[in-house]
Amino acid sequence: MKTFKLHIYIVAGLLLLGACKPEVHTPKPSSGTVDFSRFISLGNSLTAGYADGGLYLAGQQVSYPSIIGKQMQSVGGGAFTQPLFSTAQANGSGYLSLTGFNADGTPVTTPVTTNLAIRGVLPVPGFGNVTLYTKYTGDINNYGVPGIKLMHITYAPYGNLNGYFERLLPGNAPTNSTTYLDFVMSKPFTFFSNWLGNNDALSYATSGGAGDVLTDKNTFAALYNVLINTLTAKGQKGVVATVPDVTSIPYFNTITVSAILAGVQKANPNAKALYINALVSGSTYAPRAATPNDLIVLTFPASKIGQPVATPVGNLPYGLTPYTPIDNQYVLDEKEVALTEDYVTSYNTTIKSIAAAKGLAVFDAYTFLQNVKLNGLVINGVSVNSNYISGGLFSLDGVHLTPRGYAIVANEFIKAINDKYNSSIPQVNISDYNGVKFP
Amino acid sequence: MRKILLLVLTAAPLLAFSQGFQVNLGGQKQIGMGHTGTGIVQDGASVFFNPGAVAMLPENYIQGGISPLLFKSVFNPAGTSIQDHTSNKVATPFHAYAVWGPKSSFWKLGLGVYTPFGGLTDWGNTWQGKYVLESLDLKAIYIQPTLSIKLADWMSIGGGFVYNHGSVDLTRAIPLANSSGDAGQARLKGSGKGYGWNAGVYFKTEAGITIGITHRSQVNTTISGGNAFFTVPASLQSSFPQPNTFSSTIPLPATNSIGFGFYPDSKWILAMDVNLVNWDSYKTLSFDYKNNTAVLQDTHSARNYQQAFSLRGGAQYKATDKLALRFGGGYGGTAVLDGYVTPEVPDANRVYGTLGLGYTVAKHLDIDISFEYEHLMQRTQTNIESQLSGTFKTDVYIPGISLAYHW
Repeated sequence: MKTFKLHIYIVAGLLLLGACKPEVHTPKPSSGTVDFSRFISLGNSLTAGYADGGLYLAGQQVSYPSIIGKQMQSVGGGAFTQPLFSTAQANGSGYLSLTGFNADGTPVTTPVTTNLAIRGVLPVPGFGNVTLYTKYTGDINNYGVPGIKLMHITYAPYGNLNGYFERLLPGNAPTNSTTYLDFVMSKPFTFFSNWLGNNDALSYATSGGAGDVLTDKNTFAALYNVLINTLTAKGQKGVVATVPDVTSIPYFNTITVSAILAGVQKANPNAKALYINALVSGSTYAPRAATPNDLIVLTFPASKIGQPVATPVGNLPYGLTPYTPIDNQYVLDEKEVALTEDYVTSYNTTIKSIAAAKGLAVFDAYTFLQNVKLNGLVINGVSVNSNYISGGLFSLDGVHLTPRGYAIVANEFIKAINDKYNSSIPQVNISDYNGVKFP
Repeated sequence: MRKILLLVLTAAPLLAFSQGFQVNLGGQKQIGMGHTGTGIVQDGASVFFNPGAVAMLPENYIQGGISPLLFKSVFNPAGTSIQDHTSNKVATPFHAYAVWGPKSSFWKLGLGVYTPFGGLTDWGNTWQGKYVLESLDLKAIYIQPTLSIKLADWMSIGGGFVYNHGSVDLTRAIPLANSSGDAGQARLKGSGKGYGWNAGVYFKTEAGITIGITHRSQVNTTISGGNAFFTVPASLQSSFPQPNTFSSTIPLPATNSIGFGFYPDSKWILAMDVNLVNWDSYKTLSFDYKNNTAVLQDTHSARNYQQAFSLRGGAQYKATDKLALRFGGGYGGTAVLDGYVTPEVPDANRVYGTLGLGYTVAKHLDIDISFEYEHLMQRTQTNIESQLSGTFKTDVYIPGISLAYHW
C-alpha cells in the first residue's frame, strides 16, 4: 500500500511536469488608434485572390484581405465576408494547373474546365464579349474585382463590361449603372485597404503595349484623390498599397530573348537575332533586332518562331527577319518598359503623397517586390524569389501570387497598419501557405 | 587557493557560459549536488567526472541510473501571438559504471557507459519553423574503459579511451507542395562512431580541500551511409534521387573542468565545478549527399559556436548514516551566438537548481534519486540563415534514479 502511494505520487508528479508548458508573454493585441469593426478591401485581381490565371474558390480563400481580416479579429475586427464561389462551382472562372514537365524541364499547364461558375457570355456592341458569372448576393467585405483599373471606379456602365463586377451587382448586364465607388460606399465601414491602380499600368504592359493604354497621370491623380476623399469622408482610416514594378513579375522575365535565340540557334546556327516591332516614339513602331532589355511575355507561343510567314518578298521565317518581326502583343520592348516604369513611378508618387496627406498607412509593394526580385527573400527557412514556379511567390500566370505570396503580402500590410496606427494585429504563419502545387 | 577561486569567479561573468546540446547527467549523487563531481570522490561516476579520482575510491562499484529528461520549449514567432510548443517526448540519458581493483591497491580499473551529448526536440509538422526543423533525435553513447593510479596518498591520476556510438534522426519539411497543397519532407537517419579520450588528476591538499582537474577530448563523430529519405511530389522525384545516403561529421566538443571539494565537518561536503567547453570546434553542420542534383545540393549551415563556461555548486548533508540530502545549482552560458540560434538547440544562458536524496537500502546498496529544474532564459532571435524570427523559451525537468552496489 505504501509503495502504491509512492507510485501515485511519482505518476502524479510526472503528469504535472508533462502539463507545465513554457509560454512567451506577448503584448495584448490592440487596435491602437483605429476601429477595425468593419474592414473592407478595394482592389483588383490581387485583392480578389485571383491566381493561376483565374478566380476560383481556393484562391479566394487565401486572398490577402481575408488573411488580414481574420487576423484583425483579435483586435476588434468583425466578420470578413468574401464573394466566394460555391463549392459546386468552386473552379469559378477556371484556372491553370501544373500537370507536368516536358523533357527539357519546361512546365506543362492545363486549364481546369469543370465546376465553373460561368453563367453565360454577353456580347457588348463596340466592346466585345463579357463572360458572366453566377451572381453573389451576400454581404461583402472584399470588393476586389479582377481587371478593374482606378480609371473605372466612377464609370457608370462598368458594371456591364466586367463580369467579375457584374456578378456582385443586383442587376443584370447590360442594365447596370452603379459605379464601383458608389457600390463600395453603399454600406458603412470603419477601415479600408486599397490596392487599386496596378491595372492602369499592368494591362498596357501585359498586352505588350499593344492592346491597352496607360492611364493618364493627371487622370490617375484626380481619381485617386476622389477615391481617398470619399473613403475617408467620415474620418475612416485605412492602408493603401503602391503599384508594383511590372518588370519584377515572372510574366516578363521567364521567356527571355537570349533563351529563345539559343533555342533557334540549336536548329539554325546562322540565326543572328530575333526581330521585334519596337516603339520608336509616340505611336510609331519599327522593326529592329531584339536585345535583352526587351521583355517577352510568358504566354508567347515559342513554336511560332521560324514558321513561314507570307510577306511581299516571299515566305520568311517568323521572328527571324525585319520583315517578319514578333507580334507587338508578345513584347514589351525597351521603350515601352521605360514608359510603363515612368507611369508607375508617377502613380506611386501620387499614391504616397495622398496617403501622407490623409495620414494613411502605406504598403510599398513597389519597393517590396523589387527588393524580392533583386535579392530574394528568406522566410522561416524558405527561400522565395521572383522566378517562375520555383520562386514560390508567383502563381502559374506569372502575374498573381501563390497562397504563400498572398500570405507574405498580408503580413506586409499588417506591418504597415501596425506601424502607422500603433496597433498590434498579429501576423500570420507563412509556413502554413504553399507555393505552386506540383503534380 | 582563494586567489584561484577569485580569479575564476571574476573571470566568469566576462566569458559567455555554455551548454549547447551537452547533457551533464553523469550520476545521481552528482546531479543532486548541482552536477559537481570533478573535485570530490563519491562513487563509480568518477569514471565520468574525473577518471583521475577513481583510484581514490575506497570500494568497488557497479552502478547504473537513468535521468528521463523532459525538454519543453516554446517559440513565439515575431509579430504574432502564436505559441509553438515542442511535443512531450522524454529523452532517456543513462549512465552505468563499473569500478574494480584489489583492496587497498594503488590502481583501479573502470568502465563507463554514458550519454554526454544528445537532444530530443519535436516541434511537429505544422509550426512556423517546419521548413527549418520538424524533429531531431540526436544521441551519443560513450563507452569508456579507464585506468586510474594512485601516485601518492594525496594524488592520483587516470585516463580512459572513449568510443562513441552516435546517431541522428532529423526531419524537416520541404517547401514543395503536392496537388493537395501538402509540403514535402526530408528525413535523415543514420548512425556513426567516433573516438576520444578522457584524463584527470585528483589531489588532496593539506588544508583538507580536494581538487580535480579533467579533460574530456573532442570526439568527432562521423556518420557515413546514413539514409536520406525525401517525400516530394511525383513530378519532382527525379530531383530527389532515391535511395540516397548522406554523410556528416559532428564534432562533440572537448570539456575542461576544475573542481573543488570542501569538508567543513564530517556531515557536510561542499563542491564546486567550473567547466570550459570548447564548443568553438562546432563551426558548421554539413550534410553531404551521395547523389546530388541541381536541386539537391550538399548543405553547409554555419553554426559558429563559441567556447563557453559553466559554474556549478552543490552540497551534501549526511543526515544519518543511511540518508544523504543533496542540493545544488549552477549557471551555464550559451555557446550559440546571436543570429545562430536554431530550433535544434534553442540555446540560451541558463540557471538550474537540483535536489537529491541518497539512501542505503541494504548493506552495500545505495539508491539515489535526483531532480533538476533548468530554466533557459527567454531569447529573441532572427536566425541569419533561415530568417526564422521570434522568441524561444525553454524549461527542462529531469527526475532521475540510480542504484549503486559497492563492496
